[in-house]
Amino acid sequence: MTKVVVSEVWKMYGKVPAVRDLSFSCESGEFLCVLGPSGCGKSSTLRMLAGLEHISAGEITFDGKRINELPPKDRDIAMVFENYALYPHKTVGDNMANALKLRGMPAAEIKTRVDRAAAMLQIGHLLDRRPMELSGGQKQRVAIGRAIVRSPKVFLFDEPIGHLDAKLRGHMRGELKRLQRELATTTIYVTHDQLEALSMADRIAVMNEGVLQQIGTPQDIYNHPANEWVASFVGEPPMNFLDAEVVTTGSETDLEVRCGALRVRLSDAHRHRLEGVRGGMRLGIRPEALQVAGAAPGADWTAGTIYAVEPLGGDTLVEVAFQGGRVLAKTGADFRGEMDAPIFVTVDSTKLHLFDASNGRALT
Amino acid sequence: MASRDIVTYRTPASVLAGIASAVFVVLFLIWTVLPIFIMFVSSIKDLLEAFKLPAVGDWSGIGVFFDFTPTFKHYVDLFTQENFGTYFFNSVASALGSAAISVVLGSMAAYALSRAEFRGKKDLFFWIISTRMAPVVAVMVPLFAIFRYGGLVGTTPGLIIAYTTFNLPFAIWILKGFFDNVPYEIEEASMVDGSTRLQAFKAIIPLVSPGIGAFLVLCVLFAWNDFLFASIIGSGGAKTLPVATSGLVQPQNIQWGKIMAAGVVTTLPMMLLGLVIRRYLVTGLTMGAVRG
Repeated sequence: MTKVVVSEVWKMYGKVPAVRDLSFSCESGEFLCVLGPSGCGKSSTLRMLAGLEHISAGEITFDGKRINELPPKDRDIAMVFENYALYPHKTVGDNMANALKLRGMPAAEIKTRVDRAAAMLQIGHLLDRRPMELSGGQKQRVAIGRAIVRSPKVFLFDEPIGHLDAKLRGHMRGELKRLQRELATTTIYVTHDQLEALSMADRIAVMNEGVLQQIGTPQDIYNHPANEWVASFVGEPPMNFLDAEVVTTGSETDLEVRCGALRVRLSDAHRHRLEGVRGGMRLGIRPEALQVAGAAPGADWTAGTIYAVEPLGGDTLVEVAFQGGRVLAKTGADFRGEMDAPIFVTVDSTKLHLFDASNGRALT
Repeated sequence: MASRDIVTYRTPASVLAGIASAVFVVLFLIWTVLPIFIMFVSSIKDLLEAFKLPAVGDWSGIGVFFDFTPTFKHYVDLFTQENFGTYFFNSVASALGSAAISVVLGSMAAYALSRAEFRGKKDLFFWIISTRMAPVVAVMVPLFAIFRYGGLVGTTPGLIIAYTTFNLPFAIWILKGFFDNVPYEIEEASMVDGSTRLQAFKAIIPLVSPGIGAFLVLCVLFAWNDFLFASIIGSGGAKTLPVATSGLVQPQNIQWGKIMAAGVVTTLPMMLLGLVIRRYLVTGLTMGAVRG
């Protein structure tokens, strides 16, 4: 049980900063995902935590103890690499036992630990095989096994399931989450897959271009993105963005967002946060916050035409073109509609996201 | 994965090509194997028997070649009269010594060149290879001067250093390719597991062992077959087998029996080595190139 604190950390490659002034903490036993696109500095962050990269500036502490100057072997961490990095010439059992042997643990104790970890990961029958004879999923389990035999202070995962096929990935998400809860070891998990982050993490740190954008629970990140970038990166299908205007209709407190033909009356919750904000801004609407209908059921529905329909089995995505813009709406599997047919769309005004047009910061 | 067989169809031309290639292979085998065969057979023949030849065009007289009483006196003479035991030892010591030194230094240098980034790395690497570009003869005179100054002429350590001079760049060149193919993550994983940098380096040595094996063989072959260094640097005190063999050709007396026996003594160890590590050598030499 170790608390990890990263404070004001920079990573420079020559003159190019990969990580800028990064600060966050990971509570003991917490599962923290670092999420971001490739090149956002998330892997550099993880490698600095592991001791595989020097920390250019700032400080990282484990339980209050500065680890900047410690080599990897003295940090008591375990890391799972994206390409597994198993020792190809060693058996699965030896791969898992390596770290324990290096620490001079007695053979009997090593065997107990390896067997226990293997049983946990259901790879007991593979212990005598070599990595070459294993499937991707099995290799992945061995790599995790190598990490958990040691009961380290911190687990570091570098996109560990990125190379698996989609089905196995889904399965491993659940397994990893369960394993982490059972072991209750502080875990920092790097991924570019927002679905992995949302589904597994206790908290997510979203990074872009070396800068921490937002840190919070998956619900926080999804429902209250700190800026337009986070909103666009998290969520599948992605959020719709429109250039919009906030105008008063009638009284000073009666606000409406307008984007071409689309008009949304703002709820009370939004209204008080928009004190003094008027004029152009960016409007963000998640596809599930939109409803579509063949005929207009009410006055606040906007008329448009169907641009494209994408049935996904369980849901249907409908792209609606209206005067002034185009949005993607998520609707039920039973939706039927032809291209260019008329359609009506409305927005759940409690699920709007408004962003400052100049800096992308969330206004609501 | 699709079949990787090359699909061919029989045509008159392909049949003809097949016959032609078979004929070529047979001729090639005669060309390459016959001298070795003659060397081997002549080494166990008495001198008179060895020079018994059938008349030109008399194919029935071919049995004359095999009509002899085997004798090992040439071999015995080599080791009793000619001191070939020492020469054999010199050959083994200089070949293995330089191979061992080259492999140890070469693997460390190759590792550094493969892993570390530093200014002028490409130039350094090219410089290392370029030392192999000059023919041996070109550097022989200055090298001899240096060796004489250091008192190394005519000594086995001198020969070992001379061979190492030429094998080391080769070792670095071959082994760098092998280290490049080992993912760095494996060392990183090893360091996270708790090893030091040096232990991590040792941990990946088994992964480049095909390269090391292949290189060891090439290195031993180079030193074993070398004549120029051995005759100049090793002259006198550190005669090796090829030089000693050439010494059997004297102006007034060419000792064919001993020369043939010396040829066998020189060739056989390398042939055996080749047989033992044949498969290893082929995988070693191709792996560096194709393993992705």
